[in-house]
Amino acid sequence: MNKKKEMDLLQKQSRAGWLFLAPATLMIAVMSFWPMISAFFTSLKTGSSANMQWADPIFYNYTRMFSDKLFQRSIVNTFLYLAIQVPIMLVLAILLAQLLNNKDLKLKGFFRTCVFLPCATALVSYSLIFKSLFATEGLINSILVNLHILSENYNFLGNPASAKAVIIIALIWRWTGYNMVFYLAGLQNIEYSVYEAAKIDGANGWQTFWGITVPLLRPTIIMTFIMSINGTLQLFDESVNLTNGGPANSTITMSHYIYNNTFGTGVANFGYATAMAFFVFIMVGILAFINMKVGDTRD
Amino acid sequence: MRKKLISTLLVGTMTLSLAACGGSSSSNSGNGGGSSSGGGSSAPSGNENTLTVYAWDPAFNIPALKAAEEAYKAGVNPDFVLDIREQSGSSDIETAITTAASAGKYDTLPDIVLFQDHWIQQYVKDYPDAWQNVNDADVKWDDFSAEKLDYSTIDGVHYGVPVDGGTVVTAYRVDLLEEAGYTIDDLTGISWAEFIEIGKAVKEKTGKYLMCMDGDGNDLVYLMLQAEGVSQFKDGKPYITENETLKQVIQTIVDMSKAGVLLLTNSWSDYTDKAIQGDQVAGVMNGNWIIPTIEKVEANNGKWEITSMPTLEGGKEGYASNGGSSLYITANCKNTDLAKDFLAYTFGGGEGAIETYDNALKNGGLVSTYAPAGESEVYNEGVAFFNDTPIYADIVEMGTHVQIVEQSPYHYTCRTQLAAAIVNVINGSDLETELKNAEDQLNFEMGN
Repeated sequence: MNKKKEMDLLQKQSRAGWLFLAPATLMIAVMSFWPMISAFFTSLKTGSSANMQWADPIFYNYTRMFSDKLFQRSIVNTFLYLAIQVPIMLVLAILLAQLLNNKDLKLKGFFRTCVFLPCATALVSYSLIFKSLFATEGLINSILVNLHILSENYNFLGNPASAKAVIIIALIWRWTGYNMVFYLAGLQNIEYSVYEAAKIDGANGWQTFWGITVPLLRPTIIMTFIMSINGTLQLFDESVNLTNGGPANSTITMSHYIYNNTFGTGVANFGYATAMAFFVFIMVGILAFINMKVGDTRD
Repeated sequence: MRKKLISTLLVGTMTLSLAACGGSSSSNSGNGGGSSSGGGSSAPSGNENTLTVYAWDPAFNIPALKAAEEAYKAGVNPDFVLDIREQSGSSDIETAITTAASAGKYDTLPDIVLFQDHWIQQYVKDYPDAWQNVNDADVKWDDFSAEKLDYSTIDGVHYGVPVDGGTVVTAYRVDLLEEAGYTIDDLTGISWAEFIEIGKAVKEKTGKYLMCMDGDGNDLVYLMLQAEGVSQFKDGKPYITENETLKQVIQTIVDMSKAGVLLLTNSWSDYTDKAIQGDQVAGVMNGNWIIPTIEKVEANNGKWEITSMPTLEGGKEGYASNGGSSLYITANCKNTDLAKDFLAYTFGGGEGAIETYDNALKNGGLVSTYAPAGESEVYNEGVAFFNDTPIYADIVEMGTHVQIVEQSPYHYTCRTQLAAAIVNVINGSDLETELKNAEDQLNFEMGN
């Protein structure tokens, strides 16, 4: 009768916990963390991808990007999209959410679906649709010419400024509804009685919006902000499919330029491309950190 | 929390060391003559009568490969099978080489690939182990245009067997020229300045542009420079700001665009689908592979004709070559003798060459740079779409005049930079500054 010494309950639970965790942990480590580490090593190498050598000096790829005018331009472009598009989009999203949260509004579901629908389109297909809309012989040109706003067809995608504007318009169209859904969800959590109280105290719509809605939505606003910044910094599909970075690289984004350095233009400069990718990663991290610090109201 | 951290770290280091071992052992395999290990997802079949090949255009180069297969079957080996694997574009093949070579695993490649001429120098430089040379193949090198062979010959070693040439045709709508009071002879051997004047008249009378090009991947600079016998490179370095001919060429392109003579589209698909097939133009100038695109507008049947290029000085005819591709044997080909024999017999000028090239032309409109092919009947027939003129014989003849200019692995990088410069100058920027920027960026990307 050798009675095995049993583990106590806590140990058992802990062992079970580790067992459940192990597969996922292993998968994440192999599929996600290892590629990251491997990418970091790649970013310290140069040469053709078949025969990569350690860079000399070791951070050559990192110092190199600071003298790369095209990369700098792609940073400027990306931040320009960020600075213009994100505020417009979020303000629109919050206003739409407020409108669609109105209790007395009829066909609420229909309108909500309409605003959200753009998010259901694939990035490539909507980029191509915008491309054909804004083509020199496209719909927008026909409308503007027929309304006598333009005297002749304008090459929207052939001019640096208007091409950027088209990308921003496309982004707003695509992502406003997406953010609106978060705000709508956030608005559900605000008690209607708070609004009633404000009404009784004589606050008008504008005051309620700034005094109640915005402060109470603060966590949601911060989250959408971080997500939008993150998403915009990684902007790729629009740049590739709508303008192909053109004209004259004036609309190229960081991710697009990184892609061009790997497969896009056949140069397969993997070391340099991963170094730039890490630079973008650090930027996203810093921006997200600042955002959380600024948005954190706890003392 | 601490435990979890430690275990994660442990797992991390374990996988790290594992992968590091795997990485170092595999990276050095597979050099030279197809020594890669067997098994796995190898593309070529083990059959000794079969060769696999990647190609990309079912309307152009795939019929040519089929013609070659038939010729080899009929003349040499009835059991021969050419397994043509269609790719969606030439860039797929470039990516296949990049990934195979980066992983050091060549057994994902087919025996033979069709590869673009402008890219091959870069790929041989970057991945020397991915290719096998064809120096000892029985190819009649002397019968090909020297300019064409210049691409696939690297440091005196032949890597490829030529398929289609990129001899430039300048095609005009003769009916529209007539409307403006000109004939095609008035556009032969002229200067670009005269071309602009004629272009203005055509635009005024017919509303069509006399020239068009993709503004994003602008080939005009290369073409117009080659017609002058000048390159964008000198001794392996960019030759831009010091290059007076190049400045004149770019100024001409800018002038053409401003005068409404040249339509610069935003993308390649706009160029082929909207400018050419959308019937916006009275003239097209590019490698002869553009002809099938022109022929898609059936309403213009019989209204086109081709001639040579204008030049800066005028008084002589300009010739250039753009694009084109060749067949290359990859490191993964184990049946190298068969591959070399097949290529030499068909595209390389062997006994099956005339049959191959005749059928390639009939079925795919693919024009060779193999001089004897131009003498065959098929090449000398009039083409109805081009007003019954024998354009293919003309193209082969023009191909013999193309001057050799310095090639560079950075051809497309340079093209991108100069295309950007042109767009900026058209939009009001200063020519000298833009060329300086283009040269700086090009030097940067070349690592100079």
